[in-house]
Amino acid sequence: MSEADTAASPLAGEREPVSPRADLITAAVLLAFGLGVVALSLRMPTFVEQSGTGLTAPGIVPGFHGTVIALLSILLGLRAARRGGLRAGGMKAGGAGKDLGRLLTAAVLGVIYAAVLVGRLPFWLATALFVFAFTAIFEWPRGPQGRIRRLLEAAAIALGTGWAVVLIFEDLFFVRLP
Amino acid sequence: MLDALGMLGAGFGHAFQGGVVLHAFWATLVGIIIGALPGLTATMGVALLTTLTFSMAHSTAILVLICVYVGAIYGGSRSAILLNIPGTPASAASTLDGFPLARQGLAGRAMGISTTGSWMGTLFGALCLAVLAPAVGEFALGFQSYEMFWVAMFGIVIAGSLSGGDPLKGYIAGFLGLFVATVGQEANHAYPRFAFGSTDLAGGLGLLPVLVGVFGVAEVLNSMRGPAVQAVASKIDSILPRPSDVLRYWRTIFRSGAIGTFIGAMPGLGEDIAAWTSYAAAKRGSAEREKFGKGSVEGLMAAETGESACVPGAIIPVLTLAVPGSAPAAVLMAAMMIHGLNPGPMLAISSPEFIYQIVAMLIIADMVKLFYGLVLVRPLLWVLLIPRERLMPVVFVLCTVGAFAITSRLFDIWVMLGAGLVGFVLRELRFPMAPLVLGIVLGDLLDKNLLRGLVLSDGDITPFFTRPISAVLATATLLTLLLSIPAVQAGWGRGRAALRGRLRRAG
Repeated sequence: MSEADTAASPLAGEREPVSPRADLITAAVLLAFGLGVVALSLRMPTFVEQSGTGLTAPGIVPGFHGTVIALLSILLGLRAARRGGLRAGGMKAGGAGKDLGRLLTAAVLGVIYAAVLVGRLPFWLATALFVFAFTAIFEWPRGPQGRIRRLLEAAAIALGTGWAVVLIFEDLFFVRLP
Repeated sequence: MLDALGMLGAGFGHAFQGGVVLHAFWATLVGIIIGALPGLTATMGVALLTTLTFSMAHSTAILVLICVYVGAIYGGSRSAILLNIPGTPASAASTLDGFPLARQGLAGRAMGISTTGSWMGTLFGALCLAVLAPAVGEFALGFQSYEMFWVAMFGIVIAGSLSGGDPLKGYIAGFLGLFVATVGQEANHAYPRFAFGSTDLAGGLGLLPVLVGVFGVAEVLNSMRGPAVQAVASKIDSILPRPSDVLRYWRTIFRSGAIGTFIGAMPGLGEDIAAWTSYAAAKRGSAEREKFGKGSVEGLMAAETGESACVPGAIIPVLTLAVPGSAPAAVLMAAMMIHGLNPGPMLAISSPEFIYQIVAMLIIADMVKLFYGLVLVRPLLWVLLIPRERLMPVVFVLCTVGAFAITSRLFDIWVMLGAGLVGFVLRELRFPMAPLVLGIVLGDLLDKNLLRGLVLSDGDITPFFTRPISAVLATATLLTLLLSIPAVQAGWGRGRAALRGRLRRAG
């Protein structure tokens, strides 16, 4: 087989497959989700009195999608079980601690910015605070050498971003900002 | 034929009117930079730039977005060649030969090949679009609800089968996307589905906030997690494309252009599959097979031509069926709808000139891309050196603006965040994103046509299977599904081998 044949599409994510245990848990969550969608779809009104037939009932299409998701998740679960998902210790250790720390930091900073700061502070200020905090926190572990310069650069980038976003979006392209 | 040429000329005239073409210069440059930076994809670029185009005339807006799309797919090859990291998923195949060439001190030559291949690929695809789109559009005019339902279903199934390593997860991703599209008021009775009393949810989950979340926020998180990357090649030899490369590999260029355009026209597959398939085909047909993976000019040319031909190819089903051929094309289609253009079968009747305007825009973007390919070598190297710690927060800010701008609702920022986090987790669990996006985009089409078909047939489902085109599409969908099952695949392989053996013996 050629390299091109064996290589997975990058859209699929990283090439290392996930553990059968992770697939099994995913299948259980998806099964619950699919069944939940079906249950909610069944509770939707059918509007038989308006349409005469009930063929335009709002629950038909999401009910169909929920059923397919539930069926496919059962297949995923069965496959994971066959591959050893039920065995103890089937779960691989997650990403390295450092990676997870970076990921969580980025996620928490993003949530604080988008869900807390935006809408409460002027947009340029919220943006400047976020960009400064993000850059400063991620560059902090580089050590004390040149830290002051890096922090000053981060502040300049932060203020520059806040100013440029307002200028480009609001003033130049007439886009409303939060 | 003369009509078509006339409309193409008018398309160019339209693009050059009032300096609209000047937008092509900045938009293509933005696209190339977005594509070149690892972690920023063409889909994200088109989604983010859609925000900037709200106040523009629709033709200017579409030109800008096409330039970003064309530029980003090309720009991805820069980081593939210099960093061994594809700037966009589409450029993954370019790393196989681009990076070895750079390590041999031939980074400039590799970039020249990439520029030539990409330029010819997009040109080839644009000409195919000009020839094929009106014909496909005319054919699609005969499609009714039954056929449109199958077109949507076929798109989900084929994208699920081929866009990731695992068809089962591809199908689940596709149906999750279809589910997302059902949230909010439906068309027949204005019943708010899955709204739980929230007026925001009753308005539905906006396409753009979800896409910006899945491709922008999830990408920022993904980039920040891994180790930082460093550029390796700083010395650049001559980047001027060599005519001898074109003349020597003209067969590969044509083959890759045709493969790229065809794969682009298949719903939801996209540039990365076009590049891999073109690369594999070039390797099979090459006299220098042993050079592939070690710095083959032909391999790089094939990958670049294939991925760039895919861009116009992916726009063919957008214009003719309202079904996107790739993830960036899905966002482009959403942008067309935002700007009041209604892509789909009726386009060939209501405004046939629009198809040729798109062809003209693609050719203009291609020419501007060629210009930058020749003059923008060193500045792009500097761009690649921007640390992610300084780039990613800015990208996140742009995602927030992009999600908010379309309807000015803070709720859309929440949707973006939620979609980003869910998208990231799904990606970690190896669910492909292309079927998910296609599901979100095609959800409405599938929903309306399934119910309309059922109403027209008074609840009878046989027209979905007995009308000629429906039957063909249903069979293709079923075959794609069956062939993705490993046991069926193995049986099919054994059957083919047995038949071949029997034919050989008979011969």
